[in-house]
Amino acid sequence: MSQPTVLPRHGLSRRSFMAGTVSAAAAAPLLASAAQAEAPTASQSKLRQPVVTSLRINKQVYELSLDTRTSLLDALRDHAGLTGTKKGCDHGQCGACTVLVDGKRVLSCLSFAVMNEGKDITTIEGLASSDGKLHPMQQAFIDHDAFQCGYCTPGQILSAIGCVNEGHAGSEYDIREYMSGNICRCAAYPNIVAAVLQARDETKGA
Amino acid sequence: MDAAAPRPKENQGEPLPRIDARLKVTGQAHYPADLPTANIAYGALATGTIARGKVTKLHLDDAREVPGLLDIVTYGAMDKVDKPKFGNVGATSIAPLHDRTIFHDGQIIALAVAETFEAAEEAAQLIRADYEEETPSASFDSPGTKTIPAAGKSPLFKEDVKAGDFDAAYASAAVKIDARYSTPTQHHNPIELFSTTAYWQGDQLIVHEPSQNVTGWKVELARQLRIDPANVRIVSPFIGGAFGSKGPMTPRTAIVAVAARRLGRPVRCVTSRMQAFGTQTYRAETRHRIRIGAGKDGRITAFAHEGWEVTSRPDAYVVGGTSATGRMYDYGSVLTHVSLVQADRNTPGYMRSPPETPYVYALENAMDEMAVALGMDPVEFRRINEPKKEPIGKKPFSSRSLIQCYDQAAEAFGWAKREAKVGAMRDGDWLVGMGCATAIYPTAVAPCAARVRLTADGDVRVQCGSHEIGTGVRTVAGQMASERLGVGIDRVSVEMGDSALPPAPVSGGSISTASVCSVVLKACDAIRTKLYAAATAESGPLAGSHNEELDLADGKIVAKGGASARVEDILKTMQVGAIEEYAEFAPKGAPPEALKKLYSGMPEFHGGEQDEDAVKYAFGAEFVEVRINRYTKEIRVPRLVGAFAAGRIMNTRTARSQLMGGMIWGIGQALHEATEVDRHYARYVNRDLQDYLVPVNADVKDLQVILVPEVDHAVNPAGVKGLGELGNVGTAAAVASAVYHATGKRIRDLPIRIEQLLV
Repeated sequence: MSQPTVLPRHGLSRRSFMAGTVSAAAAAPLLASAAQAEAPTASQSKLRQPVVTSLRINKQVYELSLDTRTSLLDALRDHAGLTGTKKGCDHGQCGACTVLVDGKRVLSCLSFAVMNEGKDITTIEGLASSDGKLHPMQQAFIDHDAFQCGYCTPGQILSAIGCVNEGHAGSEYDIREYMSGNICRCAAYPNIVAAVLQARDETKGA
Repeated sequence: MDAAAPRPKENQGEPLPRIDARLKVTGQAHYPADLPTANIAYGALATGTIARGKVTKLHLDDAREVPGLLDIVTYGAMDKVDKPKFGNVGATSIAPLHDRTIFHDGQIIALAVAETFEAAEEAAQLIRADYEEETPSASFDSPGTKTIPAAGKSPLFKEDVKAGDFDAAYASAAVKIDARYSTPTQHHNPIELFSTTAYWQGDQLIVHEPSQNVTGWKVELARQLRIDPANVRIVSPFIGGAFGSKGPMTPRTAIVAVAARRLGRPVRCVTSRMQAFGTQTYRAETRHRIRIGAGKDGRITAFAHEGWEVTSRPDAYVVGGTSATGRMYDYGSVLTHVSLVQADRNTPGYMRSPPETPYVYALENAMDEMAVALGMDPVEFRRINEPKKEPIGKKPFSSRSLIQCYDQAAEAFGWAKREAKVGAMRDGDWLVGMGCATAIYPTAVAPCAARVRLTADGDVRVQCGSHEIGTGVRTVAGQMASERLGVGIDRVSVEMGDSALPPAPVSGGSISTASVCSVVLKACDAIRTKLYAAATAESGPLAGSHNEELDLADGKIVAKGGASARVEDILKTMQVGAIEEYAEFAPKGAPPEALKKLYSGMPEFHGGEQDEDAVKYAFGAEFVEVRINRYTKEIRVPRLVGAFAAGRIMNTRTARSQLMGGMIWGIGQALHEATEVDRHYARYVNRDLQDYLVPVNADVKDLQVILVPEVDHAVNPAGVKGLGELGNVGTAAAVASAVYHATGKRIRDLPIRIEQLLV
């Protein structure tokens, strides 16, 4: 066997990621080495123990028994049954898993569920009002055909709301720039920009 | 009307919003990995780390110690399962767990199954293999590759097309070019990850997996598992982007089905983004040599296109785009040849306009070079060489609106303001360049079945086993039913993406809208015929009227003279609550067994260059403006205009969106996308979305799509030409031409990157 030692032989895993870093550092993927992926450490076996985690999602409280390595994304999808939030890369590179945490956009694949106790989490399921009326951003996405397959759409919509709330929707240029963390492989980009422009003012008040 | 909903012109349908739009913006559209499944176990793949050799030993002990581990599916587990086959339905003949031979990097060596996703992933990471390693051949020019002629190696590529005496014509041409081009490896990277969820209910196997071919997969999976296809169901109601990647079934599907059977409980395996590069298909790298000879008047007399494509060792995957490039212009003489280069790689597969993207890129870049050599305007050069008949079989085109596309796009773009001289256009520190190119895509159609029901309440249900991959096929199928049955679109529901529904062909080759709408039209017309018969019967309210004088609108049958009858009342007189019609559509000229093949999951395409009466293609013209910073050589594409003609447009909104998405794919082809292959290890290096670059929002500014009206009754009953793959053909050549116009540098190898402009 001849393999260069600098290349990760097994790529990034949440496990090696955890072993190698203290917090969610985006630089970790290229640094995780084969050595770190070898024998489990004592601290890791503790991490496997389920912990009861209380999450407030769309104003409802969920008590979930979670492996502490569970990402917020997997907690939403596999444990809370809220599958509107999508997994596109599990690496913080595509934006499909974007949710709002305390009003700010967060990549739920890069956040451990347990880190979000006591915070307000908003997912795509929580945007429309109880009478079925869509959030202005949801309606704008329909009006401007701002999606095709629809898979990145929940992340795009939450990111768009975050973008407006951050004050980064002042111009088309700003919207393009600050929405570039959400990849749309169908490439509905011009329609997404048009949708954000339409819903911008109403979203500020929503 | 806003840009997303273009006003329909002649032979174009209303820009209705997608009928599944609300589901998609509320998180209620359930993609296969979202479908609720009780008591699920999680699977994670372990993949190999060499590209050629054998697995001599697997180390599973560490993985087995992971708390929550339930099973490891590996060598031996698939012994009573038949190997996958390579072809229209199967991605590869490589059977990763049937034998220990390694054909490519990232090949599956095991599936770890555990109580939680975290435990499964941990266990999979701990699986180690010992190998007997051989030196792999990575790609073109690697020692150990084998080059073979492509013709006849695939049923889709039977021969190298040719016409006339190229050698003589080229030798005597007054102006000529001889140039080489290349395109890189690319991966589809749909944002939805590849996944399989499988569970057994007695003898019945249910699989949730994003698929562009549920009927084909049902039959193929049943063959591998040695069970009756009637006991297999593939469910894929929404697909999160496909682009060809979810057309062929990969070996993972059977492996997960076996895991679920061993465990007696549902198993879900979501492939990681990195693993998908080696376990799914991809667009292989290509090389091209193009020679064009012409007279000083610009008339082409000689055209030769040689292509080379990489494939895997065991499977001869061919795209062979010379079939289209050889028919593009009035060449005089044509010579083509396609070769396959076999390397130690996973088997490539269809990716959005598989033959046209690389081959038309080479042709159109060469056409621009030729226009420069002739001192001619590139649009004028194409106009001069516009054919009356295609040059290979001398058949007419069923319709060809290329010049109209050029005229309309050129006007909207402002081509007349372009200064022809290279480097003449500047804006401060930015060099401005403008280029154009032709888009072409064959118009095909395949057999398809559908069931349509109209109830007395005026509700319509359409059922068809096609696939909503983002094209809008669910919407246009509903639109067709709404128009033919005279009910509002809000009364129509459309079920797709389930092999339990009437079978449809693979959603590939841009055939879905044509095939699905043709059969929905047929089913609706059968319902009309029944209603008309009852209404015009002797005792009926419209007695004496002829069918040709009747139409359905607003829940009524309306006669020409103004008399009408409510559908609800007609159903009462028929003593039924609903009319349901099951229809089968076979393309004109299809052989008698065409429908039988549809049910066996292998319907054949008709159209393109295969039909007797005419060749059938959709065309477009694309214009782009590039801006290149004079110091940093940063390349931007701030403006694109594309004009396309594709027969009847069912819905201008969804059509525009698809073409727009295609053109943006074209920006990606031109400037961003390339999977880097490590030449020593035959390994994909940039296996994620951080390093595999695709266009993002900031890469697109001003983009205009023009839908040029066109009527073509020859292609299929719906009069529809597919356009899902048309938009990204030609764009990269237009960008390359614009880069030349701005800088005088002719870039022939994609993608065009800053470093190529710095030298």
